Amino acid sequence: MIFSPQVREEGRNLRPAFFFLSTTVLAVIVGLPVLAIVAFAVFPDLNALSFAAPFSALAPSLRDARLTGAIARSLELSSAVTAVCVVIALPLAYLRVRITPRWGRVWDGCFLVPFLIPPYIGSLAWMQLLQRNGFMQQVSGLNLDGMLYSFWGMVLVMALHLFALIYFAAAKSFALIGRRYGDAAKVFGARALSLFWRIHLPMTVPAVLSSALIVFVLTIEEFGTPAILGNRFGYEVIVTLIHEKFTDWPIDLSGASVLSMILIAIAFVAYQGNRALSKKFESRVENQILTAPGDDRSRRFQVLVNMLFAGVFFLAVALPVATVTIMALMNTVSGGVTWSNLSLAHLVGLFEGGSAAWRAILTSVTLAISAAVLTVLIGLLVAFSTVRMRFRGSAALDFLSILPSSIPGMAVAVGLILTWNLPFWPVTPYNTPVVLLLAYLCLMLPYPIRLLTGALRQLPRSLDDAAYVSGASEFTLVVRVLSPLLGPVALAAGLIVFAISTRELVSSIMLAPPGVETVATYVFNQFNQGSIGSGMAMSLVAIVFSGAIIALGQGLYGGRQGGPG
Amino acid sequence: MHKTFTAMALAMLASSLVSAPVPAFAADPLVVYSAGPKPLSGALVKAFEKKTGLQVSLFQSSSGKVMARYQAEKANPHADVLISASWGHAITLDKAGELLPYTSPGAAHVPADLKTPTYVAEGAAALAIAYNTKSGLPAPAHWSDLTRPAYKGQVTMPDPAKSGSALTLVEGLVNKDGAQAWSMFKGLHDNGMIVPGANKAALTPVLQGAKGVVFGAVDYIAIGSKMKGEAIDIVYPSEGTVLAPRPIMILKSTRHPAAAKAFVDFVLSKEGQRLVAARYILPARTDVVAKRAGWDALHLIKMDYVAAADHAAATKDHFAKVMRGE
Repeated sequence: MIFSPQVREEGRNLRPAFFFLSTTVLAVIVGLPVLAIVAFAVFPDLNALSFAAPFSALAPSLRDARLTGAIARSLELSSAVTAVCVVIALPLAYLRVRITPRWGRVWDGCFLVPFLIPPYIGSLAWMQLLQRNGFMQQVSGLNLDGMLYSFWGMVLVMALHLFALIYFAAAKSFALIGRRYGDAAKVFGARALSLFWRIHLPMTVPAVLSSALIVFVLTIEEFGTPAILGNRFGYEVIVTLIHEKFTDWPIDLSGASVLSMILIAIAFVAYQGNRALSKKFESRVENQILTAPGDDRSRRFQVLVNMLFAGVFFLAVALPVATVTIMALMNTVSGGVTWSNLSLAHLVGLFEGGSAAWRAILTSVTLAISAAVLTVLIGLLVAFSTVRMRFRGSAALDFLSILPSSIPGMAVAVGLILTWNLPFWPVTPYNTPVVLLLAYLCLMLPYPIRLLTGALRQLPRSLDDAAYVSGASEFTLVVRVLSPLLGPVALAAGLIVFAISTRELVSSIMLAPPGVETVATYVFNQFNQGSIGSGMAMSLVAIVFSGAIIALGQGLYGGRQGGPG
Repeated sequence: MHKTFTAMALAMLASSLVSAPVPAFAADPLVVYSAGPKPLSGALVKAFEKKTGLQVSLFQSSSGKVMARYQAEKANPHADVLISASWGHAITLDKAGELLPYTSPGAAHVPADLKTPTYVAEGAAALAIAYNTKSGLPAPAHWSDLTRPAYKGQVTMPDPAKSGSALTLVEGLVNKDGAQAWSMFKGLHDNGMIVPGANKAALTPVLQGAKGVVFGAVDYIAIGSKMKGEAIDIVYPSEGTVLAPRPIMILKSTRHPAAAKAFVDFVLSKEGQRLVAARYILPARTDVVAKRAGWDALHLIKMDYVAAADHAAATKDHFAKVMRGE
């Protein structure tokens, strides 16, 4: 850095305002429900507003003989999924800036699709595809039952669903680094591989680490896949144990809170490790070129790289979406894949007899757009507060922002009920759709905050200094200089939040007010009635509909931006 | 142009915030939390509203989630009426003194062991063997048939820890046969039976053809699938089966006791019971015709539900141990 960072000047009075605002917002959205969960773990009768028998739930819950195994398996699963995600995502992200921007945008759009597939639908699709007598065997005679119902089978299914988080973060980071460093190294005779290992990889470490942290905590929090796939070979993790306490009679909400706190603790440790590592690599990128590098490689290179992208696309998007489509078109599940068993009956049936399906889609889309816009705004606020306007307590703010991703959706739902169903609130969002929005905000905030903080860390402080020297106020700096540079990342974060919100299941089931249905609760109810085809039809419609909205959003933005966005 | 996009999003957000809460505050409806088939609870509520002019607000989910929401709301209860798919839920809530005593006139036609002063069956499922007719497997006739080599690697069963009806089946068979029942479960385990989750998780692989037979399928779900054209059939083993009654109960914390009683009355009326029957569920009233094997056709194992509920935890543990091969 050229200038010393803390030159006090007039017009830098935004700090207290930013800090106050971001802390208040996070405290209400995240702090209250989490506090409720912690308090509930201590006071098992808190749901009846009684403080009797404090700590009585702790010992029995922790003494559960299955707990240690479940913790170990959760850690093992999350580590493996994160590692596989990095292995898939990093090469793709590295090659992303080396293909034409047009193809780059196409693949970016494609890789958002996995988020649109709810994990439990994805797992059902993989099962229908690979298991004994599945589509694969019906078509090619190949039966991959043994591979699917195994640890690595589950890891692969989960990684193909999540790898794009790391891909997006790393690709943005590689794009920001630009080519100047690489060009310089090439002049000094560096080869492609050492260029990657010695220059690009270290520089993109903060982005990869923060997105890998999201993948890690998301995997540890994930319920659908372990419940559907893992259950088939007895793979029990903390979340399935928590879910059991929530739903198996006698229901043990307090015990579930205790176990949720174990997840929070794991996330805390992961977060601290991540923080320590990120610090080492922070703010190393100066004077980068912010424009997109052109594609200077040969046609052959372009074709090869695009084929690699296409291969991943085939596995992560085409296969599961095709399976969901076929399942949605099958009249009967037992009828198998034959022409006579295929029809549009389930799809047409969705919109017959009132517009329940259509209303559910509109509810989900409205909630998801609201969640995306609000989380990105809050994310920007928090990123500026923690990265640029360091305060005592900014670490706490940062931690508050990652908390909810480590808590199962079910626990967030209970936390929200405990918080907002108290009799003394004059007005409460509980039992209105707003509580769903609160749940989504709480659950989704980590994405924009992680991604935006990671990106902001990489924008050089010399930008700030230059702005100040040119007479800009803090406000001008944030609005005119930093925010536009963060635009692509903000858009990506918003789209991810949108995609995940459109199909959030677990907290929606608990919190949806009477008479309100979202896409996920609609699908859940369909499956509950044994209508697999109808549930798949709804999933397919939701995937296509939210995919179209994302394409629209990206198209609008991409047209304006021009570069890789 | 992305500003248009943002503006659109903000407009949608604003409209959702403004318009959404209104219906929830508009009236003070009767609140029903119901597990089980949504078309049934939906139809019951609709018909009840039409008949009485009262408003009902319905929360529909699975039994576990209905109960979890009820428990979490204890500080400020909303539910007036609960319908669960598990008789054990009613037994426990009754023991805790959380239920309002009420005997509906319609209960006079309900068999004695499916009613108490505080709760009554809305309907019941029977447990059966469901098998995929395209699987090429021989049609089973007895529970123990599924331990035979012909069914090796073909059997699924709902987990008694997750499905109240599967637990009732284990309890009933153990009640009847004792140690012999446990050795049959060991035989099923040795024959490669999987216990993948609740009822749906056990049925789906059989519909898909990945497995062939469900041990302890909830009959009305399997019959419903068959009526939709799935290649599935069910067998009630000749040595007898158990009922899984679906309790309906009024909570003591109710703010609408009169409306709640009216709702229970409606569910137990002939009209309400016909709606239950339309979903292939066994109606609780013996004077309403079932659209499947009815009261006369079922050979039921006699069992004491309350005593079984006392041993539920031990039974679940024992079963889990057998399935782990211990």
